[in-house]
Amino acid sequence: MAVTNYEILDLTQDVTTTRTLLHESIPLTGTIISGTYGTFPSEDNIKNYTHGQFQSVYDYPYLSSSANHIFDISIGYDEASPLSGSPGVTLEAKKINMYNQFSQVLLGYTGSTNTVRKFELDLTLDEVGAMQESFFLNFSRLITKDQIKKGSVSITLGTGSWATPFAGTKVLTDVSASDTGGTTNTFGGDYGLLYSSDNVVRGLVFYQAGIAVLSTSSFDVMTDFLSESAGTKSVAQVFVSSSITGACDALRHRVQNISFNNTTEINSTIYFCRVPHNKYNHSSNPTYLSASTIRVKNVATDTPVAYITTIGLYSSQNELLAVAKLSEPLRKDPTNEITLRVRLDY
Amino acid sequence: MAFLDNSGDIILDAVLTETGRRRMAQGDFRITKFALGDDEIDYSLYDKTHPSGSAYYDLTILQTPIFEAFTQVNAGINYGLLPNTATDLLYLPTMKINELTGIDTNIARKGSSTASSLFYLTDTSKDTTSLNIGSVLAASGSRDHLNGTSTGRYVLLETGLDTGFGNVPAGSSTNRTSYLINNNLIDRFFYVFYDSRFIGSVLGSSGVDNVFNNTADNNGLNISFTLDSAPATSISIGLENYAAARVNVIPNGVVYTSDSNNTEETYSAIAGPRGVAGAVAFTVKAGLDPEYTLYGSVNQSFGSNTIDYIDTTVYVQGGTTGTQIQIPVRIARIS
Repeated sequence: MAVTNYEILDLTQDVTTTRTLLHESIPLTGTIISGTYGTFPSEDNIKNYTHGQFQSVYDYPYLSSSANHIFDISIGYDEASPLSGSPGVTLEAKKINMYNQFSQVLLGYTGSTNTVRKFELDLTLDEVGAMQESFFLNFSRLITKDQIKKGSVSITLGTGSWATPFAGTKVLTDVSASDTGGTTNTFGGDYGLLYSSDNVVRGLVFYQAGIAVLSTSSFDVMTDFLSESAGTKSVAQVFVSSSITGACDALRHRVQNISFNNTTEINSTIYFCRVPHNKYNHSSNPTYLSASTIRVKNVATDTPVAYITTIGLYSSQNELLAVAKLSEPLRKDPTNEITLRVRLDY
Repeated sequence: MAFLDNSGDIILDAVLTETGRRRMAQGDFRITKFALGDDEIDYSLYDKTHPSGSAYYDLTILQTPIFEAFTQVNAGINYGLLPNTATDLLYLPTMKINELTGIDTNIARKGSSTASSLFYLTDTSKDTTSLNIGSVLAASGSRDHLNGTSTGRYVLLETGLDTGFGNVPAGSSTNRTSYLINNNLIDRFFYVFYDSRFIGSVLGSSGVDNVFNNTADNNGLNISFTLDSAPATSISIGLENYAAARVNVIPNGVVYTSDSNNTEETYSAIAGPRGVAGAVAFTVKAGLDPEYTLYGSVNQSFGSNTIDYIDTTVYVQGGTTGTQIQIPVRIARIS
């Protein structure tokens, strides 16, 4: 039936808003990225596309409706890179396009001719220390939520031989980034630096965009970044002569672990529903009466009792906008005054 | 020394209803008030005779499992808690339909034999000069049906403390004042909620020059209700397709008298101090035709004829007391 008995909220005192940041730990083990769902490089949870511009990693064979998209991998280099125009180059235009797409979205343009900025291995964006060849890891919104938590990123890369990639590892962390510093703000949001344990910057992480940009420098000294039937390739050779998909496969083979904390921003409105001691001690519930007599009383002087199970929040037009339920009935009688804090999250 | 219970305030997570989400999308989401409900509670489980004492009276009630919040339009509170501030109330009013015979020829009553739990409302859209739905119903035991006219029959509703004839408090005028008026348990109007797909409008007691008492000679009955179109109201029952109208009520003047000619039981459905009385009737929505197939039954044998009908429920609620009643209505026409 219609509710006709309302308690008016004093909107200056009974309503407040809060902002809460929730963090979840996201561990992505290398076995999911490579080797769990089939034989490398043709795992069932790895989706390649005919356009050949990036590769998608799922947490389960992607043809299953249970699969969740985790992240995409791509590579690219700047057209001014030494690799550009190399003999035997494969898909060069697409590799340059990928680099430009990431940089124009994350960094924007610069100069009077509006040239696309290059990624730099520092926080100054002064066109010094450019990272001209990059791996890109685009994490899904499903796992990054509103943003990656600053200072929580850890990427472990295998730097051993192709056969035993994790005989040596390099751990990249954004150790200098925090909510109060260690980042630079750009078009793509805040970014921080990924340091290896020898305190060398090996990449960038864009927190709001959920994108890690890895330098090839982690693998520069290796001669067998990739090994295939035709022989072995250094990382530079992979960037030149392998397809983007092939380069992504090679990187997946060397990812041992990725972990970070995501951030979800929850804005809440809390309504303080104050139930006075002398009101709402009776009910219009049909079972409240037996032959018009209040069941919970023997004589008129007995204390009236009612039990609250539901709080309805209404507009001024009597529209029910939100409902909150108690976990168990709450006894209400004239001896107690109750404040129910009803929280609405957005 | 034990710790004090510091649970204090209770934090609840609320969910938006469909209306709430729509208002959010429209940008006019604004909560201004709240209400409390206890729909899951069965107060008959309150055991005032529990051998272990008063701490155990509500043990079963406190163990009642509570449903999760619904988000549908009817997600809310069906039976709200009441804001009465008096703590010495022992009685609260109820609402009843008066179907007593010999009161007024305009009082509608449920059918006597066929589908006897329903009030019939006639749809004359298929009446002919030789056959009309009113006579078909009357001939087959569905007497005293509603016909949706201002001079036709009405459902007579009464509120009061229905404690039983011969029980205390008696239905005297004095008790009406002390138990009802002094405790603000007198409704000023009834809200009538009806399915607007089938019912076009509500007719209700005008509240002017209406009378219902037994203060005539020899405690005889004075009854007169004039039906007017009841104005619409924005109060929502929370049921889809339901609209609301507001019906005026009058003081229920049928009282117990201690003389040898007490007539209260003859004229009133309430056995105790009486609050108010009101009359309600309904008009069939114009153009009702495919609805009989969609929502009702067609070509149903009824006596020697066949009828189409739609069953619906009208809800009536006291504007002040919140006391309520359901009126089952069958809209019928000639097939």
